[in-house]
Amino acid sequence: MSRLIRNFVLAASLAPLLAALPACASTPAQRGLIVFQHVCAACHGMEHVDYGDMAAFGLSPDAIHNWAADQQLPNGTDDNGDPKTRPATPTDPILSPYPNEAVGRLANHGLLPPDLSRLAMTLPGGAEQIRRILLSYAPTPAGVKLDDGRYYNTALKWKHIGMPPPLQDGMLTYPDGTKSTTQQMATDVSAFLNDVAHPHVAERRRIGVYVLAYLVLMAVLTFVLQRRIWKSRP
Amino acid sequence: MPAPEKTPGWLERRLPVMSVLRREYIAFPMPRNLNALWSFGAFLMVTMAIMIASGLFLAINYTPDITQAFASVEAIDRQIPSGWFLRSLHMGGVTMLFACLYIHIARSLWYGSYKAPRELLWLTGLGMMLMVMVTAFAGYVLPWGQMSYWGATVVLNAAHTIPLIGKPVSELLLGGETLGNTALHRLFVLHFTMAFAILAVIALHVIALHVVKPNNPSGIDPVSPKQTLPFHPYYTSRDGFALCLFLMVYAGLVFFLPDLLTLADNYVQANPLVTPRDIRPEWYFAPFYAILRAVPSRLGGLLLAVGSLAVLFALPSLDRSPTRPATRRPLVRLSLPLAFLSFILLGVAGMHPPTETWLIVSRMAMAWWFIHFLVVMPLVSEREITS
Amino acid sequence: MTQSETPPPEGGTKRRDLLTTATVTLGCAGACALAVPFLNSLKNPAATTLSDKTIEVDLSSLAPGQDMTVQWQDWPIFIQRRTPQMLAALQTPAHIATLRDANSKMLQQPKDATNWHRSVRPDYGVLVGICTHLGCVPSFEKPGSAPEAAGGYFCPCHGSNFDAAGRVAERAPAPYNLPVPPVTFLSDTKIRIGHSAGDPGFSMSDIQQI
Repeated sequence: MSRLIRNFVLAASLAPLLAALPACASTPAQRGLIVFQHVCAACHGMEHVDYGDMAAFGLSPDAIHNWAADQQLPNGTDDNGDPKTRPATPTDPILSPYPNEAVGRLANHGLLPPDLSRLAMTLPGGAEQIRRILLSYAPTPAGVKLDDGRYYNTALKWKHIGMPPPLQDGMLTYPDGTKSTTQQMATDVSAFLNDVAHPHVAERRRIGVYVLAYLVLMAVLTFVLQRRIWKSRP
Repeated sequence: MPAPEKTPGWLERRLPVMSVLRREYIAFPMPRNLNALWSFGAFLMVTMAIMIASGLFLAINYTPDITQAFASVEAIDRQIPSGWFLRSLHMGGVTMLFACLYIHIARSLWYGSYKAPRELLWLTGLGMMLMVMVTAFAGYVLPWGQMSYWGATVVLNAAHTIPLIGKPVSELLLGGETLGNTALHRLFVLHFTMAFAILAVIALHVIALHVVKPNNPSGIDPVSPKQTLPFHPYYTSRDGFALCLFLMVYAGLVFFLPDLLTLADNYVQANPLVTPRDIRPEWYFAPFYAILRAVPSRLGGLLLAVGSLAVLFALPSLDRSPTRPATRRPLVRLSLPLAFLSFILLGVAGMHPPTETWLIVSRMAMAWWFIHFLVVMPLVSEREITS
Repeated sequence: MTQSETPPPEGGTKRRDLLTTATVTLGCAGACALAVPFLNSLKNPAATTLSDKTIEVDLSSLAPGQDMTVQWQDWPIFIQRRTPQMLAALQTPAHIATLRDANSKMLQQPKDATNWHRSVRPDYGVLVGICTHLGCVPSFEKPGSAPEAAGGYFCPCHGSNFDAAGRVAERAPAPYNLPVPPVTFLSDTKIRIGHSAGDPGFSMSDIQQI
């Protein structure tokens, strides 16, 4: 009995530590979420991703709730017909900060910042290309003339992009103490966008291993069974 | 084996399911020499069951409306509990279904399973393949991604080239000249209905199989009970093992390579103003797409693509030789593998941009496909020496 | 397990031994496990807790004798402004005698509405408009037009009738009084539904039945 109690106390004292684990164990994708929140979200949305989906990146329910509550969503009209807003909830999508496409274009020299839900999947080159673009800004060489709102970037075929260089060394602090160099942030945010574009990828692989193990076992059993049955055929 | 006859039970006197099951699935005499290729029918049954089950549960969360279809599929992938698994099961299932279907048909061609008395078995099977193709086409439009939209548009415009009836019929079916809300809703209903219609034809196919009994690699039907084995436990155990291997491949596709055969562009919502740069069909339609492209005339391409399937329907009357397996027909043993190779080459060509090389490859492959079925088979069956 | 103890008969086609049993059992277990994600997908991902949702309602346009309906947590909420005649009718002994639970003994309301008028303030009644019989929405019978001068609610499905305070008649099929949601008066003409200042611990999930 006393051992039972001791085990229980031990488990109870470990529980908060284990629960807190995802927050401190910072994977690149978890750090990438911080980059998204502080940098990307200023212009980009992920309209098919809910705030609640960010639990997959170790964000606690409270943190998700608070992040969502900071964003205002349109909420019909009031009694005078004027538009109303409400704070977002964890089941709301992470929308672009621009209320519509026209405003988004107006704010960005006629180019709409793309939605990031599936970008790492649909962009040729995938997440690696996102990382390359983020790290390939360079001063415009002499003799090259770019239009307004265009930035020299060697990762692209046409050597320019509409997105101003988004990352600067030390522009944010990671809670896990990792130094936020441009290199680091680009790696992290591309890992994050890769996971966002391939939802449930870790769970998918984890379950897949169990399923394959089960099927291997079943294959061995059925193989032996089949051999024995066929050996004894009349 | 035969147990002393007892008075039949209550159920048996009213509905003899138990004795029919025992006769058809336990004591059913099977040839002794079937090889692994005869397991693909069982794979098809299992895949169909998984497709219908996963399809039903996906339909619960899907919205057939052009403004919400894409988002509802994204929600299945992201927010619906286990939705990602159901969708992968359904998407991977299409690949497994067509792969098994093509292998199953190739096996029938190789071992002459389409010959008397199995013509109806062959025809119901081919009919089912057409139904699966229509279902797959309709199903691929449902996520309303770029590939859904533009793939369907291309097929629709090809259908428009059929003289007189092409345009009116497709407009009547889809409720308009271009793809819109009405078309999406109707394709959803079509996809859903066809799945169950296929089930009915599966029943016909299986009944026909149990009437004419399975073919076997030697092509000579067993005559005495000594040449057969009861279905259970011999073929149940063997199919069970084969099924485990099959499910491993399926699970690999679902859990580890979900993006292997999907086109990334279909994760961009359909946009009637922008055609994706690299438009190509899913792999299982690629051979027919290659034929469509290899012919300079639109109607000609469509006719030849349909014709490439029509020759299969005509095969029981084109090949009059009583010898079944290609292994015992020296000329067919050369010509048929080349026809298989043509089909594969057409598939590869269909997945590549239509460069000069690939057009030439498609045309040669297509030519051989028709030569094999329309020239080689009738001539060979007239004057062949079988070994 | 008994089969494994007997040696398998030689050359038999119907051997049921440990290997067969294990294979069949594991196969069935796998098939059952496959059903789990299918059933799992039927869960509603957007199911949210009902607790923290409140709405505020402005009552300034409600004249005595009038009623209005608002929506709170997908339920119709009836709000009525009672006339002195209605309040008087609620207290007549003849009327009380026809009621099943005149003193609101069943937990169908917060503590601050457990009184003869079943509301925080006598002149305003707030009720969840779902019949406790089989869930239809009763309609309001204006005072005077109903047989009872007090007004009340009449359920079209099976004829349950409730008085203006939502108390069910003894002879009605509905077993309980209409539920009262938690209400706080923010001012004389403004209420908040979803939180009760007089009974802060009250939750709609605790009541007998909606």
